[in-house]
Formats: sequence, structure tokens, C-alpha cells
Amino acid sequence: MKERSVTVSNRLGLHARAAARMVRRASQFNSSVELLREDTGETADGKSILSVLLLAASRGTTLIIKTEGEDEERAISALAELVEQKFGEELSDGVF
Amino acid sequence: MASSSVTRSRDVKLQGVPASPGIAVGRVLRLDERGRHQFYYIGVSATQARLEVRRLREALQEARAQLKEIKTRLAKELGYEHSFILDAHLLMLEDPRLIEELEHDIRTRRVNAEWAVRSVTDRAIDAYKQVTDLYLRERTSDLEDVATRILTILSGHDKFDLTKLDEDVIIVAKNIWPSTVAELDFKRVLGFATNSGGLTSHSAIIARSLGIPAVVGLHDVTRLAKTGNILIIDGTEGCVILRPTKPVLSLYTAKRKRDASRRRLPAAEIAQAAETTDGVRMTLRANVELPTEIESLALFGAEGVGLYRSEFLFLTRLPELPGEDEQYEVYSKLAASTGEAGANIRVFDLGGDKLTLEGFEAEQNPALGLRAIRLSLKAEHVFRTQLRAILRANLHGRLRVVLPLISTINELREAKRIIADVKQELAETRVEHRADLPIGVMIEVPAAALMADVFAREADFLSVGTNDLIQYILAVDRANENVAHLYQPLHPAILRTIAHLVRTAESQQVPLEVCGEMAADPLQAIALIGLGVRTLSLAPASIPLVKNAIRSVELARVRSLMKDAMRLTSSGEVEELLARELPRQAPRFFAAWSSRA
Repeated sequence: MKERSVTVSNRLGLHARAAARMVRRASQFNSSVELLREDTGETADGKSILSVLLLAASRGTTLIIKTEGEDEERAISALAELVEQKFGEELSDGVF
Repeated sequence: MASSSVTRSRDVKLQGVPASPGIAVGRVLRLDERGRHQFYYIGVSATQARLEVRRLREALQEARAQLKEIKTRLAKELGYEHSFILDAHLLMLEDPRLIEELEHDIRTRRVNAEWAVRSVTDRAIDAYKQVTDLYLRERTSDLEDVATRILTILSGHDKFDLTKLDEDVIIVAKNIWPSTVAELDFKRVLGFATNSGGLTSHSAIIARSLGIPAVVGLHDVTRLAKTGNILIIDGTEGCVILRPTKPVLSLYTAKRKRDASRRRLPAAEIAQAAETTDGVRMTLRANVELPTEIESLALFGAEGVGLYRSEFLFLTRLPELPGEDEQYEVYSKLAASTGEAGANIRVFDLGGDKLTLEGFEAEQNPALGLRAIRLSLKAEHVFRTQLRAILRANLHGRLRVVLPLISTINELREAKRIIADVKQELAETRVEHRADLPIGVMIEVPAAALMADVFAREADFLSVGTNDLIQYILAVDRANENVAHLYQPLHPAILRTIAHLVRTAESQQVPLEVCGEMAADPLQAIALIGLGVRTLSLAPASIPLVKNAIRSVELARVRSLMKDAMRLTSSGEVEELLARELPRQAPRFFAAWSSRA
């Protein structure tokens, strides 16, 4: 299992569009993806939009990403990168 | 449909509270808890559950295909950036947790796919409502949208339309919400049977005003009755019989025929005056909740409208408010159709057990909370909009306003100040209206009853709302079936209060009217006129019956009977006295009437 701590730094936090990108990216991997809010201890299934949204992680929230499975290494890098790059929000990168 | 032993058993009799008399036999249409989205709970077998899971998967796939198509079109027309919200919807349809939960619900609770979608998304929506982040709370509308899309696909038509039912039905629900009632296709509704509710709950009041049988307070009728089952409602006895056997069915069919012929009244009788045998004329006015009822007033011989419950305009659409013009349309129709006899519009009686305005929270003790006039004075813009509409509509007839739940003189003065202000505003902006608008105080709070002389000096008339007055004097929640037996309109405390109000109105020379369910019961209506009341306002369908009762009695004798009644010690003693004396005094009506029960 891989674990990495990231801080949500985009303006709107993990709102619908950012959450959607997170879930899309997470779903590309076979590994399970869990998100943990460091402050509250709440967890979410990274592949479930409804569960990610319920985290209500706003700007400045620290999240611990946990991945487990054959491609856990690639998954955690991709997801950490997504958060660090502010979900591509400030760019029109055409993730979808 | 399930073939459990419960489903097979016949002649299942349930006892409830008789809410509206008469017999109805028909097929059940069970509404869900909210009465809004129309799909029913259907219990299924294990094999059928597998089929339901398949239906669900197909519906999800279809929903995804629809959304992808919309997204492509939107991206083409508006650009990529605008289609992202559909991505969120698509992801919800693909959400592994949601799908797992839906399938789990179908398999373990053995329910149809529609019911699973409704209950699972309702739970998710509740979870979102707990989140403090406003933005995220608003995502509940996305979820609701997604749920509606799936349900639409599952049910195969756009929206189940309650206003156009294709067969006669008996509505079975936990509770009948005013919003549902307002949307119902009444021509197809034979009766109501509900789990909760007492004699004066809204479902009961509406059933009586429409003249359709209803039994409420049945506890678990929604668990036992399924859509499509045959159900008998005996609204006179207060019982229902589920899945009747042939002999029982034919017994009730015959009973219903006799009952119907007894209820039908010749037109001549409807045109007759509500006059006692000693020549004293009473005025019988109508209580109206739905605009559609306005048309039936003449049919029942109502002399105008004594109580128009204007909040019903709201209840179909909360939290959205009806605009001034929309209200104007309805009030104009009311004014025009009642002519000289006029109509009393009770200003919005929201809050409490009725739904409240947006921005106002649910309360711990709503019956004693921010409701009726208290809410109108607080949400003054809503009150003003309503007053503007009433003053404009007043051009077409003779309207009057009634202020509900007044407890202090300051409320009356404040309301009068606002009314004067609105009149001035209309005059200054040259909006056509008629400023002659009498203002009445609704006597519902014991404090107002005791202080009636003070109110009578500053109001144009008094209107006694017996439902709430009884509730507050006796401290009984009228909709709570555990204490419904303590809701006693003939309690001497109530009789003495009404007698006091009649005397006060006479000495102050202001008109007094009584509206509420008491006026619709022949025995209680006679008690009211015996206490000196001259104007009663009641459900239109009950007018002919009450009129017949009035025409059968001699007022002088009824007055002395009520003098005795007021000296008795309990409701039971009063009932006993009336049940013994009235058939003696007026055998033409009461002998036949009491043998019916």
C-alpha cells in the first residue's frame, strides 16, 4: 500500500469539477484508492464521486491518498500530481 | 408482486379514525412517503429481485447514454467548459458505491428498482444536507436530477401524472400532503386511507370538503395494502377492509348504493333557506381550500365563502412563492363567483403543522411557534404581496381579510398599519383596487377569546376558528391519534368560550362567524346555533346535511337545551344530553341521522 500526503491548493477546493477529475483519474487504475482528511479523519472512496464530494475538502485541507493494488505506485503518483497541479483548474488542459 | 402469506390473506380489517363518511370500494394506489414522485413500493421475490437488478443496470446504462449525447451537443454548442456539470452527473451514474448500494437494497430489502433508487438517493441527499459547505449542499440538486432521470427511464414515461389518473383509485399513504392533494385528479379518487392523522388533519378536512370517504390513523395500512389491491373504506365506521372476499365485497357494494342515495339531495332542497322551524334564518358559508372548489359552491347552496385558506396556494409549490398576479387571478375568481355574499380570505396560515417559508427553520414546538400572523408580520414582503393581490381583486366582488392566530392587540394594529400602508401605495402608484376591505380577527388563541371585547372594538368582525381554538383550549394536538379522543368539541369549556364570544360580539355589535370542523357536524352545528351563533362556515359538501338539521329544529328549544349543556361537567355528558334530546325535539332529522351511526 502506498500513502502520500497532499494539500488541496486550488481556489475552490474539491468541488464538483475537481472531484470529477479526481474520480476519473482514480478510476483509470486497478488499485483501490482511498482519501483521508487529515483534520477530521473522514475517508472517501476515491472512485466514488458522491463519497469524494462528501469530504467537502476546501482549499488548504490536507488529504492523505492511499492506493493499494498492482499499479498502486503509478496511481499514487498520478493522483498526487493532479492535486498538486490544482486539478488543472487554472489551465484549460482538456482532461476530459 | 409478492405472494407472501400477508398478501394472500383476505378480509383484513383495520380500525382507524373515521375522517369522512361514506363507503368506497376500489383499487389501491399507494403513494410514497413524500407523495411527490410516484412510484410504488413493491415487494419482490428473490428471483424477481434479480430481474429488478437487471432493470436497474439497463436504466443506468440508458441514463448514461442520454447524458453523453446531451454532453456532446452541449460541448459543440457552448464549448467544452460548460459541459462539466454533466460530467459530474455521469460520474454519479457510474459511482461504484451508489450502484453497489442500490443493488444491495434491491437484493436484501427485496424491493423494486424504483423504490431502491428513491430511498438510496434520499439517504444520500440527507447526508449532503448535513454538510456545512453551501456549495456542496447544492449538489443535492444534481443528485436529485440524476435520480429523476433514472426513475423516468424505469417508469417508462415522463412523469407519473397524478392530475390524469386513468382509473378510479383509493389513495393509500402514510400521510396525505397538501401538495399531493392539490395535484390529485379528484374525479378519479374514491377515498383516502392513511397511517397517521386525526379527525382534523388536512387529509380529513379535504376528504370531507370533497365529499369522499376517508379513514385516517390506520397505523400500518401502507405496509399491508399494495397498489392494485382491492380495498373497502368505511368512512362512517372508520374501518377499512383489505382484499375482501366476495360475500364481504357484495355486502359493501350494496351498502354503498344505499349510502349514495341517502346523500343525494334534490336541487329544491339546496335552494331552501337554512331556517329553523321558528323562523330564524342562519347563514351557511363555505370553507374553501382549492381554487377548483370555488365552482362547486352553488351546487351545495353556499352563501359565499366564510373561510378561504389561502396558504393552499403555496403548498403546491413551496418554497417558491406565488406572485402577486397569480394570487390576483385566484382571488378575483373567488370575488367574482361569490358576488354580494362575499368571501373571507384568511391570510397565509403557514408554519406550525403546515409547511413554512424558505429561510425559516423547523421548530421544536411548531404549534406554539412562528406561524400564521406571526410569520406574516415577520416576512412582511410576503404579506404585502398578498394584500396587494387581495385589494386589487376586491374590485370584482366583496372580499374581507381574516388574520389568523392573533394573540395580542399589537398584532392586529400592526397588520392594520401595513394594510393601510399598502392601500396608500396602491393609490399613489395608481393601481386599480377597492380599498373597502373589512378586517376580521380569527379567534383561535384562548387569550384572544378572553379579550374578545378589545378585539371587537378594533376589528370589523370576529371569526371563530374552532379547530385551533379547541386545540389550544384543551391542549390537544388534533393530528396525534394517541390523544385524538381528548379533542372534544363539546367539552363544556369550549361551549362556555363560544357563548362568551357570542355575547361579546352582540354587545360590541360586530358580526361573528364560526368556521371549523364543528360547524360541519350536524349535532355540533345545532349546539353552535343553540349557543347563539348565526353564521357558520363549513366544508361545501356538508352544507346540505347541516341545513337539513337546522331546518328540523326549533331555535328556542335548542337554546334552552344548550343552557343546560353548559352546566354539565364533561363532553360525554353533553353528548349524551344532545343524543337524547335532539331526536326527541327533531325526530324528522335526528332520529334518522343517529340510527345511521
